[in-house]
Amino acid sequence: MSLRLRRLRRLVQHVCFVVLMYGGRFGLRLGPALPCFSCPFVAGCGGHCYLMGLQGYIGFGLNAAALGSAWLLTSLGWLAVFIILTAVLGKAWCGWVCPFGLIQDWLTALRRRLGLRERRISPAAKKKLGLIKYGLVVYLAAVPPLITLGLLHEDFYLPFCNICPGKALLPLFAGETRYLAVNLNNQVTIAFSVALLTITGLTLTGMFFKERFFCLFCPMLALIHLLKPLTALRLIKKPGACVGCGNCRRACPMDIEEVRERLAPDVQTDECLDCGGCVEACPSNSALALKFMGRKLFASSRAYAAGFVSSLIYSVRCAPPFQGLTAFLFHRSFVPFVRGADSQRLSSEYADHETPGNHERILKK
Amino acid sequence: MSEYLKNLMARAGARVKAEEARELEHLRGRPDRLAAYDYFLDLAATGLTPAAAAARTGRPAVNLLCLQAPLELFQAAGLSPFKVFGGSQAGASLAAQGLPALMCPMLKSVLGLSRLRQEEKTSGAAGEVGTSGSSGAIPWVLPTTCDWVVKYPEMARLAGLSGLDSPGLSGPLHWLELPHVKDREGSQARWLEEVLRLKDFLQNLTGRPITRRALAGAVAVYGRAWRALTGLILLRRAGRIAAPWFFLTTNVFFGDTVEKWTEAVEKLIPAVAKNPAAGRRVFLAGSPIFFPNFKLPRLMEEAGLTVAADDLCSSERLFPGGVDCGDPSEFGLLEALAQRYHQGCLCPTFADNDRRVNNILGQAAPAGPDVPDAPAGVGVGAFEGVVYQVLKGCHPFDLESFSVEAALKAAGLKFIRLETDYTAEDSQNLSTRLEAFRQTLGVGGI
Repeated sequence: MSLRLRRLRRLVQHVCFVVLMYGGRFGLRLGPALPCFSCPFVAGCGGHCYLMGLQGYIGFGLNAAALGSAWLLTSLGWLAVFIILTAVLGKAWCGWVCPFGLIQDWLTALRRRLGLRERRISPAAKKKLGLIKYGLVVYLAAVPPLITLGLLHEDFYLPFCNICPGKALLPLFAGETRYLAVNLNNQVTIAFSVALLTITGLTLTGMFFKERFFCLFCPMLALIHLLKPLTALRLIKKPGACVGCGNCRRACPMDIEEVRERLAPDVQTDECLDCGGCVEACPSNSALALKFMGRKLFASSRAYAAGFVSSLIYSVRCAPPFQGLTAFLFHRSFVPFVRGADSQRLSSEYADHETPGNHERILKK
Repeated sequence: MSEYLKNLMARAGARVKAEEARELEHLRGRPDRLAAYDYFLDLAATGLTPAAAAARTGRPAVNLLCLQAPLELFQAAGLSPFKVFGGSQAGASLAAQGLPALMCPMLKSVLGLSRLRQEEKTSGAAGEVGTSGSSGAIPWVLPTTCDWVVKYPEMARLAGLSGLDSPGLSGPLHWLELPHVKDREGSQARWLEEVLRLKDFLQNLTGRPITRRALAGAVAVYGRAWRALTGLILLRRAGRIAAPWFFLTTNVFFGDTVEKWTEAVEKLIPAVAKNPAAGRRVFLAGSPIFFPNFKLPRLMEEAGLTVAADDLCSSERLFPGGVDCGDPSEFGLLEALAQRYHQGCLCPTFADNDRRVNNILGQAAPAGPDVPDAPAGVGVGAFEGVVYQVLKGCHPFDLESFSVEAALKAAGLKFIRLETDYTAEDSQNLSTRLEAFRQTLGVGGI
């Protein structure tokens, strides 16, 4: 099979990135109710992340003047659009569409190329950290009414956007750097700016060392998960076919344990991105499947896994100047918790004990 | 050594040679012999010993008594892992006194063959005999899987097998302590530590570090080997390859470099794909089968049963291929290998081995359209029953046969449990039971 799911997903992600980040420049308006980080702060974007709309609607919804107006109907209409879009694609918005997700994948690809070890978060810690995303949903829903009721300063407007690393990073792709500046207007704006820069710095570091780090905290992921009963796209397991090899967890960007552990058909956890990586890597026939309204889109099989896994190339090469720099920056003696960066240097010293040309040939394939 | 012992050894040596020659003769004379099998036949004919493998691969050999050690590490270290095995009844008869009455025939055979090898060495006889044993200062890696493997060094010492660094063995010994509970975080951490220690041991042997590059290359080499094996297995599911041929193909795996074996299997696949589907398809579970003891597969064939799948560690579970390493750093590769060899293993020596049955049941259903890469014209279907082989003395498979039987019968599969050993005396008995089993297939059931 020439078109592997992973390659298809990368293609879709990049197309979506271009459409959502630059579509507006070509007249595309997909509306303000997209279930992914298509950031409204990007000038000329193709559509808007619903989180921004949500923060606005909830605030104004409590305004007596807005009740009964056409505006209320519009906002309910966009809510309906959001629910429909979520119901159709579910978490595929995260795994296949989200531009911020793709940026995280780029950083992961870079780390892999450099041969740096991925930082793991223990399942117990992940469970606790995972609650943050629901906390953020409560936060972004609770603050706007408080502004409307006059209990909070109006610069608390868009409380989530003001601390969202997407707002700092995504506009950079449209040449916009002003969201990285500190807004000195008043104490509230200064506090938000500093928080945004801090969170962005932490997130960038996290995203480099841990695949899809931000998704652990993303309130959009939480919202989509809350609508799970309505979603058509599902990850389904046939428990009686699972031998427990763990390929699903190793292929999973979120390192989800439950897909292997759970012996029940529903293995879709709140962190699942519907990326299909586990289905691809699973060597048991039909043990895992992505289903749309109960219809099988893609199921695991040993034949597919054999072709897929043997096509994975754990590339260890990068351009020479960069190689030297990273070997210096990430050398064991400087960064004790980073392993493997200096294996580049060693490999050339005793490449002779490998079967001549063999690994070379396989890596090139 | 007394004249009597010398004669005994000489006669046993001749019998071992005759056993192997007879099996090879049988394979060569089969009507379904293909030219693509010659590579595997030649490997079996020219000796399946660590020394012979080292000579072929050009890499120093390391003895393994069990496949629990990640083979990719040996490959990355530039070593040639060799799973020591014995399928010879004449070899088993040579095993010394002081062994349990009911003993694993495979290790009994290994002990006998090793003794034979040692006597030949001291008496200066030319040529090597037997499928196993050790020669020279070849290091040993012993994973603590079943009790027989664990007690092997002790038995070897009692059998008077001389060693260099450790008594009873012919080279430095490295234990790989296996946590017998798979689904526990602590077990996995301890096993990973064992794998890291194995890496250190292998590095000390060669005096060179195992790099990330070499490790990634080794994972790729075994990935390709697994793809080739999968191709052959798909044809097997369709009943297109006879059991003795498949077992020969997997038995000689350690005789040559993985790359050459893979190429030979890749060449074999298109040739086998032309075979017609034959016999009633069954699943063969239980104790491993080793050359030259192909008694059971041959009897099954004669009874009209085709082995479409198995869960033998000498065959389809030869190496747990298809390792997806989400984190391809040096540590990530080692961790992925450790997990794949531990969590994914279906050996009955594990305490929590419930999912072994899933490997059988999951394949009992017709795979049909879920197998997108199946070669054209290959119908991949279900098997009709399960033959469970217990080698007398192979306690782990013996113990687990009962729970497997209950689970399979509950799922509506036909099941037969056969207890046998390396001797030929029970052939008629087995034949009769297999015939009767075949007649029950297709009646009721799934």
